Amino acid sequence: MTIVLDSPVSVVDALRGDRTVRPPLNHASASGLRAQLEDGIYDVLGAVPLDHPIVVRAASLRQTPDTANFSASTHGRLRGVLINQALRLMSVGVRIDSAFDDVVLAWRGESATGDLIDVMDRLDNDERARLATDVTAHVVTLARSLGEVPGRWMPRSSVRAVQTLGGGNVILRDVVDLMIGTTGGDVASVALFDVTTSPLGEGAERAMRFHALVQTLRTSTMPLRTAAYSSATGDIWISDVDEELLQRSVNEVVACIRQMRNKQ
Amino acid sequence: MTTLHHRRLVPDQLNLLVTETQGGRAFLSDDHRRSLSTRFRAVASNNHRRLDAWSVEMAGQVTDMFRWSPTMTRRTLGNAALRRVKSGPTVSIVDAVTDEVTDQLLRATSGYARSGTMAQWLAQCPQPVVGLVIAEAVNWATQLNEIVGGLDVPWQIASSDAYYDVAGARTTLRARRDLISSNDAGRIVMRVRSGSPGKSAGPGLRADMTVETLANPDGIAPLRFIGLWPEAGVCLAVDGTMADLRAGARDLVRTAVVRQRRLTPHAA
Repeated sequence: MTIVLDSPVSVVDALRGDRTVRPPLNHASASGLRAQLEDGIYDVLGAVPLDHPIVVRAASLRQTPDTANFSASTHGRLRGVLINQALRLMSVGVRIDSAFDDVVLAWRGESATGDLIDVMDRLDNDERARLATDVTAHVVTLARSLGEVPGRWMPRSSVRAVQTLGGGNVILRDVVDLMIGTTGGDVASVALFDVTTSPLGEGAERAMRFHALVQTLRTSTMPLRTAAYSSATGDIWISDVDEELLQRSVNEVVACIRQMRNKQ
Repeated sequence: MTTLHHRRLVPDQLNLLVTETQGGRAFLSDDHRRSLSTRFRAVASNNHRRLDAWSVEMAGQVTDMFRWSPTMTRRTLGNAALRRVKSGPTVSIVDAVTDEVTDQLLRATSGYARSGTMAQWLAQCPQPVVGLVIAEAVNWATQLNEIVGGLDVPWQIASSDAYYDVAGARTTLRARRDLISSNDAGRIVMRVRSGSPGKSAGPGLRADMTVETLANPDGIAPLRFIGLWPEAGVCLAVDGTMADLRAGARDLVRTAVVRQRRLTPHAA
């Protein structure tokens, strides 16, 4: 794990790294990881179909039972959604003039209704001003670290993935905030970038690994790197994806499924 | 017997689906078209009805009214952008999408776009929403570019979806199509969907293939119709056999019947 306490000049440059030392594309690991997950799920759930599938997301792995998660508060979720809109705009080189107003406009352009939209509409002037200040601070931090994302690096934002396992008993759902690089070519080049508005912690590390695992299962190709960035502190954690990292994620996902099953 | 192939969406598997097609070329004759038209005419409707694979998969459920959003524009803009990239490979996908959006805005400002069209909607959008439109279309075009990058056969972006008006039945059928690969033996049609395939994905593919065949001037079926679900990393395919075409036509007629019953429950 590479820990960069203060963001490098450009996060995107750090994600892409040195082109000459990239590993060859790994197509072989995905099927093994899938088989291990299937075995682990069978151990936990058996062969009986569940009435409702267990859905595992990155957020499921971020949470730990004995810690408070402030980003899961309504205000935190609202801030997270808005920062994500800002990242989407930045990824395609759209200029953001007024951080809060622009990201709210973008968000409303996509979602006309929803719980969070209702919350937003009910904010009084003071709460709205506080949120605007908060969001602006996060957007400024993110913009300074991210830098310009060149179009030739194939940036795409809010990339969704879904994997059905255990005969439909388990669904892995994931959204990667920003992905660059391509699964084509001879060497690994896909970098996954996750933005959180909370300080980085163990949960963020598990989420990083989860993104890499789901991406590997989806494309049957191992990504190059996975990273977590905190727009609260400007810290970024970057990790090269390898067998060991994915193996850890498999164990974490199975443990999470066990925990969720016990709660049911 | 109908067919359904299930593969992982990786270049090797997709290439096998595209190249290893077999069987004769099924086709729909004028008699078939007349027979289909008779069946649709038997399902009375006060309004013009539009049916597609989605309505088949949703068992005729009437969906919410259409509303433009960045997600709704991504396929049109993304496919058009990829066509640009194909003709001038030095253009990046982000630039190609931005050029497409600019073209749409120009159409709106020069008065060539009718009201309700994507161009008109885009022209009224604030800049951040246009930015989100670009981001969505870039996602679409990039994932499609990754798919075609692994194809070993010639391909082209479909110029439009396939439409077929059923004579005298006030019914329009539509089939989604994103990529077409043609050779001497025939054509393979591919369409991309978000999410993961549900239990009715097979009937949806057969419905699309049937409409694609009806829209063909000679009524010749594609050798294979492939559905791609990049988010799930899987693809499903149906062969262009007479059994699959019949099943597709049957599902479309059933959907019309179910939808009519939903709209006029007292008549059921």
